[in-house]
Amino acid sequence: MKNTKSMIGLALAVALAMPACAGGNAEAGKAKSTTCAACHGEDGNSPTASFPKLAGQHEDYLYHSLKAYKSGKRKNPIMSGQVANLSVQDMKDLAAFYAKKKGLSQKY
Amino acid sequence: MKAAYLTTVVAALFCAASLSSQAAGDPVAGRNKNSMCAGCHGIPGWRTAFPETYKVPRLGGQHAEYLVSALKQYKTGERNHPSMMAISASLSDQDMEDLAAYYASSYSGPSK
Repeated sequence: MKNTKSMIGLALAVALAMPACAGGNAEAGKAKSTTCAACHGEDGNSPTASFPKLAGQHEDYLYHSLKAYKSGKRKNPIMSGQVANLSVQDMKDLAAFYAKKKGLSQKY
Repeated sequence: MKAAYLTTVVAALFCAASLSSQAAGDPVAGRNKNSMCAGCHGIPGWRTAFPETYKVPRLGGQHAEYLVSALKQYKTGERNHPSMMAISASLSDQDMEDLAAYYASSYSGPSK
């Protein structure tokens, strides 16, 4: 490309824009998690055996699960009601929030 | 008369105790049965196959009751995932309880 300066400028602009269109924001997720806490616990460490722990779960798996409940691919009467009001960004933020919590591990 | 009554009660208690230990999961037994699971759930960063790629969920410390219900849902097809459905089809109820107990406790002791 002839004009290296504009290339660098373009690359910089893209790099700076990345965080804005990246995944979820955990801070925002925390604010949106008050309803979820009722079943899944305040930090995702659910005290009830039938409601799964979310704390420390992989972010993309959590997001995938919420999407699956929303699309109906995964069926659960409680969860399908809960996700009805969640936007894509909400789901990403919630996933980011719970993924950061300490809980589930992969050490067996 | 009293002795007979007492014996019955004690016998009944023993029966109840042995029943519950059979139903509950044994994490050591679960550890011995997890060869099909470790390949996906035991490798950090492992992802599912295309087209929907996401990380295989962590199981360590999850509620045993929830894990059993998930396995049962895969077995009936209520929950849809090709690999999980195939694997859970081969698991008995006891297998499910044992595996769930193993993952719930993150048991890492010696296998039998």
